Amino acid sequence: MNANLLRSLPLVWCLCASSSARADPAGGDKLVIEAGRILTQAGTEIENGVIVIENGRITAIGKADEIKKPWDAPVIGGPDRVAFPGFVEAHTSQGMDRPNENVEVAPFLDVRDSVDPVAFYFEDCLRYGITTINVQHGNDCVIGAQGMIVRPVGLTIEEMVVRPQYGLKLVAAARGGHSRATQMQTLRQTFEGLRRYLEDLVEKERGERGYAEREALFQGKELEGEKKKGRAMEGTAWKVDGLELVPRGAIDEKQAPLLDVVEGRRAAFFYCANAADVANALAIARENGFLAKTTLVIAPACWQAVDIIAEAGTPVVLQGPLVEKRRDPITGEEQETFVPGVLRDKGVDFALSSLDGGPRSLWYQAALAVGLGLEREAAMDAVTKVPAEILGLGNDVGSLEVGKLGNVLLFSGDPLGVTSWVEEAVVEGRKVYDRREDVRNRHLLEGIQPPNTAAAASAEEPKDQDAAAQTRKEKETEETEKKDGDGGKREEKP
Amino acid sequence: MKAIRNAIRHGLRFGTACACLAALANAQERWVVRAKTLYTAAGEPIEDGAVVVVNGKIVSVGSGGGAGETLEVAVVTPGMIDLSVRIGTREYSVEQTTESAIEYPVEETLDLFSQRWETQLESGVTTVLAAPLDMDVFGGLCVVLKTGGPRTLQARRVKGEASLRASLGTQPSAGNSVPRGSPPLDFYFRRPTTRMGVEWVLRNAYYDLLNADRFGLAVDARQAERNSILRRTLEDGLPVFVQARGTQDVHTAVFLKEEFGIQEMVLDAAAEAWMEPELVRRSGVGVVFPPFPPTGRIPDGFANDSYFMMWSAPARFHELGVPIALSAHGADEIGERLAQQAGFALRHGLPFDAALEAVTIGPARMVGVDGRVGSIEVGKDADLVLWNGKPFEPTSGIVGVMLDGRLVVDPRSKP
Repeated sequence: MNANLLRSLPLVWCLCASSSARADPAGGDKLVIEAGRILTQAGTEIENGVIVIENGRITAIGKADEIKKPWDAPVIGGPDRVAFPGFVEAHTSQGMDRPNENVEVAPFLDVRDSVDPVAFYFEDCLRYGITTINVQHGNDCVIGAQGMIVRPVGLTIEEMVVRPQYGLKLVAAARGGHSRATQMQTLRQTFEGLRRYLEDLVEKERGERGYAEREALFQGKELEGEKKKGRAMEGTAWKVDGLELVPRGAIDEKQAPLLDVVEGRRAAFFYCANAADVANALAIARENGFLAKTTLVIAPACWQAVDIIAEAGTPVVLQGPLVEKRRDPITGEEQETFVPGVLRDKGVDFALSSLDGGPRSLWYQAALAVGLGLEREAAMDAVTKVPAEILGLGNDVGSLEVGKLGNVLLFSGDPLGVTSWVEEAVVEGRKVYDRREDVRNRHLLEGIQPPNTAAAASAEEPKDQDAAAQTRKEKETEETEKKDGDGGKREEKP
Repeated sequence: MKAIRNAIRHGLRFGTACACLAALANAQERWVVRAKTLYTAAGEPIEDGAVVVVNGKIVSVGSGGGAGETLEVAVVTPGMIDLSVRIGTREYSVEQTTESAIEYPVEETLDLFSQRWETQLESGVTTVLAAPLDMDVFGGLCVVLKTGGPRTLQARRVKGEASLRASLGTQPSAGNSVPRGSPPLDFYFRRPTTRMGVEWVLRNAYYDLLNADRFGLAVDARQAERNSILRRTLEDGLPVFVQARGTQDVHTAVFLKEEFGIQEMVLDAAAEAWMEPELVRRSGVGVVFPPFPPTGRIPDGFANDSYFMMWSAPARFHELGVPIALSAHGADEIGERLAQQAGFALRHGLPFDAALEAVTIGPARMVGVDGRVGSIEVGKDADLVLWNGKPFEPTSGIVGVMLDGRLVVDPRSKP
């Protein structure tokens, strides 16, 4: 059944994509969105508002009677819709074939090779309004692959990419079967190894000029342009003198992403499973000078280390349930802690993350957080603005403002309301989701089998045996005819 | 207790175990609980309503006030009821010597000290039906009990022998082995091993009863007891709760009901009952739904199979007039509990009043305790849930819980 459903998935996207503004030659890349209410997440709420998107970005937003709508742009939405910026997933390991590589230090890998564009997860992202996703290596490693930021649109990774080679996963929690001491030792050794490697490279370069370039050539790398240039080492914690002698492109692929982290050019996502891990993660980040570019990805139990998180000033992404439960070993009492409340009280910037790709995703986590005592505004920010800032996309996503990307959700009601659905989703000015065409949603709500699935076929099949055979025969003939007349068929489409 | 509620709002640690003890000390003779909206589950909601509680019972519902300690909240609903709570019993409470443990009372295996009762209570579930694990075809006699109060059966029991538990499908035969190389008479070889066998055990129990009656057979004391229980399902309306997850199980359950004339039957965890709406309606059974699965699919757990629960199934059965109840299966996780299940039911098309009914008076009727719990009416137990917003919305919080007139979670500590 799954295979069949998956096959029908590209169809939905193709339909949506072809009907979008992008394909319309007359209007160019324009789209007008009307909504009875626009929650901009930029401090304003607009009644009877209009959003104009041109070339993927918002060019105008305001009251319907104050905005001049381009005459040639398609219009979507209506007075019963609530517009809201697309949710931002600050960190996830979903959407990959397998999130964890068996090599404990693997910065030379890239999740782009693992992200599956037709993964069910990305379809669910659109369904529940997540339009920007930071995909990072899983948590069962020491240093993971390079991550990337994607949009859940497209059938190839090229179409999906928002920021390639973005971020690096580091893990302070002991990986499966290992101790925390081993974990920390490997982390320290890795950065120590980087320093030694660079010193060695510089020394050899000093000894025989052009060493690094020849070494690169030996490895099959042609150095051109920027790659051929050397640059003095940046970074605040430690430096290797003379690195400017070495062409940057000659640095080993296993080391280059780590050097990016140390030089503060690459974001670090540091996973911690409990409070003890937090101190360790912050120590590694401080020792190597990338604290400012570090985001802690924390399990709920990490709330106990909230003071040192606040002191370090790092933002966090909360992964897992909103409430941490633990049992007192002596009294047997169960203690519950509402983690976002702790983070808020200590002034830590936090983003929430989805529990699963489906109905328990960002909207639900934000709504539950409100129910547990978080202010509505803070909960909304934790799934839009804060993750946008964490990902360095503060100027692109997270709110509806002129100049930002046209990532807009049209809800049937309040975005956190239990009876509200994402009716339409727009990513960078393209309408990419329409609930009316969402066959899986209809299947779940109406029991209607999606087309092209085995179940649908058997439901349609006539009960009478002879009639069934007859239909099968007819189908076969039809298919043969289709094959023959394939060229003609294609011309019919606009 | 006040400090405890403060703690959760501020995200500090708080202990739930002391909730009940604190509540005992907090017992009040007389309460006046005021709500901007009072959902009684017995008629239209009352705006600016008040419930007056004296000695654990509701003595007036309306706008009346009078003496007594006053609580003011946004919304009050009856305490919620979960008929498929699946807690308090463990593996070793499954009877291993027989597959039809008809006369075994499950209440004797319950662990009233389990922390999970308190989790239920604090999440607004005040009454539950406790059933054994569905590893036997007949699991035994179930008990309706409160989730809080003194940790004794006498104090918590609402109704003993409230229903007879049975199970269809793969679960009762899971793990049973087919004898190999030795006669199948050994105690260690458990049967049934197939779905056919499961159904036979059910049918056989009723045949034994009918044969004994028809031919006046002499039966031993144990058989007499089993027969008397089964006879109550045919004559006195003792409800039979049958776990029937797949469509096939729903068919079997309904056919058994009609074959033997079982008066009251409820299909539990009936994920696929929606595929046979007319059969279910015609047969007059009630339906208890499992928690809403995120992808619609519920894995069987014992066979390589899964059940598809259409999300709008509760709404569809409500339209057909089939008695429905929602369940969270005793979930501990925030976001998966009974209030949230009702929220998802709203999301999937069930009207608000019907959703409220499906977690209060609806399940109360199914087990015949609607005279005591399930709605806010004069004379009933003072089991109340106090909300700070529209019930079942994930953005609404349960700020107070009252059980038998004792304030278990105090709304006044909310900042």
